Amino acid sequence: MHVNVWHEVVESNMGKAGLLLIGLMVVLAVFAPVLSPYSPRENTSTPAFSRPSADHWLGTNDARQDIWTQLLYGARTSLTVGFGVALLTALISILVGGTAAIFGGLYDRFWMRVVDATMAVPDVIVIILVAAYLRPNVLLMILLLSALSWPGGARVIRAQTLTLKERMHVSAARTFGAGWSHLLVRHIIPDLGPILVAIMIQDARRAVFMEAGLSFLGISDPSVMSWGKMMQYARVFTYLEVWKWWLLPTGLALSLTLMGLSFTGYSLESALDPRLREADHHHDGGI
Amino acid sequence: MQDLEMRHLNGPEVGWDGQKAMEKAKALLRRGTFFSNYIIAFVIILTLNFVLPRMMPGDPLQAIYGEEALLAMTPQLEAELVSRLALDQSIGQQFVAYILALLSGDLGHSYYYNQEVLSVILDFLPWTLLLTGTALVISTLAGLILGIESGYRRGRQLDKTLLAGLMFLSGFPDFFMGIVLLLVFGVVMGMVPLSGALTPYSGLEGLPLALDILHHLLAPLAALVLVRVTSAYLLTRNTMITTLKENFILTARAKGCTEGQIKYRHAGRNSLLPVVTATGLLIPHLITGALFVEIVFSYPGVGWLLYNALLTRDYPLIQGILLMVTVAVLLANLLVDLLYSKLDPRVSHAR
Repeated sequence: MHVNVWHEVVESNMGKAGLLLIGLMVVLAVFAPVLSPYSPRENTSTPAFSRPSADHWLGTNDARQDIWTQLLYGARTSLTVGFGVALLTALISILVGGTAAIFGGLYDRFWMRVVDATMAVPDVIVIILVAAYLRPNVLLMILLLSALSWPGGARVIRAQTLTLKERMHVSAARTFGAGWSHLLVRHIIPDLGPILVAIMIQDARRAVFMEAGLSFLGISDPSVMSWGKMMQYARVFTYLEVWKWWLLPTGLALSLTLMGLSFTGYSLESALDPRLREADHHHDGGI
Repeated sequence: MQDLEMRHLNGPEVGWDGQKAMEKAKALLRRGTFFSNYIIAFVIILTLNFVLPRMMPGDPLQAIYGEEALLAMTPQLEAELVSRLALDQSIGQQFVAYILALLSGDLGHSYYYNQEVLSVILDFLPWTLLLTGTALVISTLAGLILGIESGYRRGRQLDKTLLAGLMFLSGFPDFFMGIVLLLVFGVVMGMVPLSGALTPYSGLEGLPLALDILHHLLAPLAALVLVRVTSAYLLTRNTMITTLKENFILTARAKGCTEGQIKYRHAGRNSLLPVVTATGLLIPHLITGALFVEIVFSYPGVGWLLYNALLTRDYPLIQGILLMVTVAVLLANLLVDLLYSKLDPRVSHAR
């Protein structure tokens, strides 16, 4: 049965909600300069800890900076890290998983051992360790997160490629003498589409989460505004009323981004899984 | 293809990675390479611990001990440290000295606390153990029961509410959940203390002391459980749904078993296996989650210690904490893998 996966994602409530949330965050991030007249580090003339007003939608923080502007630019950081890691992990996953499945043999076994060992490494710890010594910046963060999160994807891509490899059109191409790179780019990758996107969404979610958590710990690019860093600063002022328009909106923005990614990922995975799809159509109450 | 199926059976990936663990467990068992991956992972962390400070430009002693140490540095102390770390010798000998020191339990000296790193960590460890231990037990049990009830009533109101509600909760990062609970129950309602693990100078003993500790534990515990209960819940629910379609459930029904018997004894017991995996998976997330939640509540555990070590650039302490956490995470994973093969006869036969 041929199922239009994308159609099912857009049709499901979960998928709609997820895509809407992601779309909202992308709009906020892209149009940040349009949506706010300030820059994130600008010390405005408004007193510190001002309440929300027409000029400052979310008030100002302890350094007279506009919180709404910081929120917008924080979205940029989160989405950059999420998107960057998703792209890079997908690339590594295809290269490792795809070639391992095509070549097989010792090459395959070697990479699967690397995958197993990398999976056992606790990633939060490695990143904190490296970032404590090297001055963290956005690029380093993306590279580190990708280096630690590709194995899951590589494994799935390998499994999927192994089944695709046996399909008729791939065998046909092989009979005509197609090389491995041609097979991978022209025949395997196009069929991997939905699964690849599911992996990318998962990796992006983890990356956004980790970036926020690490900058909440103080491990962040000093020149870049990020949600985790805003929460780290705002946390100190819970005895004032400012948390209502500083701490809470920032945390909500982060949570909504994460939820957007999980919801989209969930609906995509349900669309890919015949068993879960069947479960959705028969509401027999479980008896 | 098998890997792919497992991945979907585990349901949505929210804040944890079911497929990763399932695959990991399976792959490990299949190849009988039980310990080697853990050893490799451990060696990677050890190497990073060793290489990173020595890779830094400038004086390695400063990179290893941080700036705090330089204030207390005298020529004698410097000479002693250089000989202790074998810094005047080749990299190979330095590594040997490093490993030998670790084997004798020497994680270095924290100049901020002016104590051995190991004894600093041991001072803070009990609170983290209390927090993660209770969170693990409660979220597993709650996830199991909610999952069984929800899966049994698939498609009905309770199931839908639980599924949506728990999915929603798991979307929060644990430190933000902690902040929300702190603000609502601590700042606004004044029901829970804002920081610490017990009331200082209270002179409480016995039961009142236990209640005081519990009172301080409630909010951080709730933050961890609310975010982490979903993984066990979703796994149990999915297994319940597939198990309820099996023939033996029909038999049980036909011979007149009560609802409760079918739910818990027949179907529920079959959901235990994936929950073991889920629990194992949960441990690393709970440990790192607890690190963050402790910071939010200024709960005097290892996470709070790590945060302060990062702020004061107390490098020996950072390294020591991360090494201990790595060992804890790897041991937990290993234990679950072993337990998994014990619980599922199919796995041990396959080996």
